[in-house]
Amino acid sequence: MDFADISAFFPILLKGAVITVQITIGSLLLSTVLGLILALMKLSPVKAFAVTAGTIVNVIRGLPIIVQLFYIYFVIPELGIQLSAFQAGVIGLGIAYSAYQAENFRAGIEAIDAGQIEAAKSIGMKSRLIMRRVVLPQAFRITLPPYGNTSVMILKDSSLASTITVAEMTRAGQLIAASTFQNTTVYTMLALMYLALSLPLIFGVNRLERYFGKGVKGAGK
Amino acid sequence: MITIDNIHKSFGEVEVLKGVSLEVKAGEVVCLIGPSGSGKSTVLRCINGLESYDQGEISINSRRVDTHSKDINDLRTRVGMVFQRFNLFPHRSVVENVMEGPVFVKHEPRAQARQRAIELLEKVGLGDKVEAYPSQLSGGQQQRVAIARALAMRPDAILFDEPTSALDPELVGDVLTVMRDLAAEGMTMVVVTHEMSFAKEVADRVCFLYGGKIVEQGNAQSLLSAPQHERTQDFLRRVLNH
Repeated sequence: MDFADISAFFPILLKGAVITVQITIGSLLLSTVLGLILALMKLSPVKAFAVTAGTIVNVIRGLPIIVQLFYIYFVIPELGIQLSAFQAGVIGLGIAYSAYQAENFRAGIEAIDAGQIEAAKSIGMKSRLIMRRVVLPQAFRITLPPYGNTSVMILKDSSLASTITVAEMTRAGQLIAASTFQNTTVYTMLALMYLALSLPLIFGVNRLERYFGKGVKGAGK
Repeated sequence: MITIDNIHKSFGEVEVLKGVSLEVKAGEVVCLIGPSGSGKSTVLRCINGLESYDQGEISINSRRVDTHSKDINDLRTRVGMVFQRFNLFPHRSVVENVMEGPVFVKHEPRAQARQRAIELLEKVGLGDKVEAYPSQLSGGQQQRVAIARALAMRPDAILFDEPTSALDPELVGDVLTVMRDLAAEGMTMVVVTHEMSFAKEVADRVCFLYGGKIVEQGNAQSLLSAPQHERTQDFLRRVLNH
């Protein structure tokens, strides 16, 4: 490992890191929206919605993420829809994680005490207002820590996009290593750079957990 | 004001209400007493449509109570409910709990709703806890906030479902004082309770439920001191002598 190598590799890896962050944010947003829809469908009194959402969640959870990425990158274009590698990566990871997000959200919503809903009803609130004013704000607090953990996992799994040629950080590392044979230098740098991204996120999640844990404990007692 | 006409209600195979009829006039305080499982809480929950009933009819000011009708939300704004476990919204401050209904259901201006919420909190003795969160309050304080929250809707009647059963004994008194004041102001109240002395002092009428029926009802003094029915005598012997 010498310093010249490090300073030569760093800008390339940093470029990859920017794409890693973009994929992470993109698929986090997509998985949040899809996950919320799936969770509300699963909790719907309309059985067809609940069954459909349950099936989707099980299929997604039953497939390796890498297979889902290959499917979206290689099969969808054959149906006439053109996707860049980056788009396929965001969509693939977003869908793959929507199943886990759906479970996070569902658990959060179901954790709300039935008495909360009864109290809201008994001051004349309609079900949509109850969702908005009573259930979701409380479910949000319960869901935040697992949501944070899911974001850390998405950050790490964004490296899977390297398999469909997205030039994110892992792919950048592989390319440098293949052309320079400086495996130790490259992969040590890569690992450290992932930690530089994930550790602050993990600490942030821990703080949130402590912060929100306080408010929720003793609630309704 | 509240008319319950021969209602029946089953949970699955178990029939919990077997023909309950009850008339509550405006300004009247009616206490429902009876052993657990006698159906008294279920009667109360049917009145504001938290439970549906299978047969018979409940009406409030001649409007039928139907859990599945659009009308139910409006009826609920007229009949408040206070729960055994308070059920305050833990993510909102005390004053926000009280303002929630007026602002979001009745669309009153915020400032006005807040002003009135503070007055109500002063009335229940919590003028100094306006900005506190429910988790910072004792059970008795939380229950008084819950009463203020019900009052904020300016209801025609309030239903109390064992309002003091979840409280430590030394906190019961403050809640009962607030309820006593409400009764004196002429609020129509239906109270499921185990507080026999409260019933004796405040209730205009006491109904004793057993096995899903009103077995005996009458003037609070006479029913509690000289019950006619054997079941009532037996129940009162147990609760009064512990």
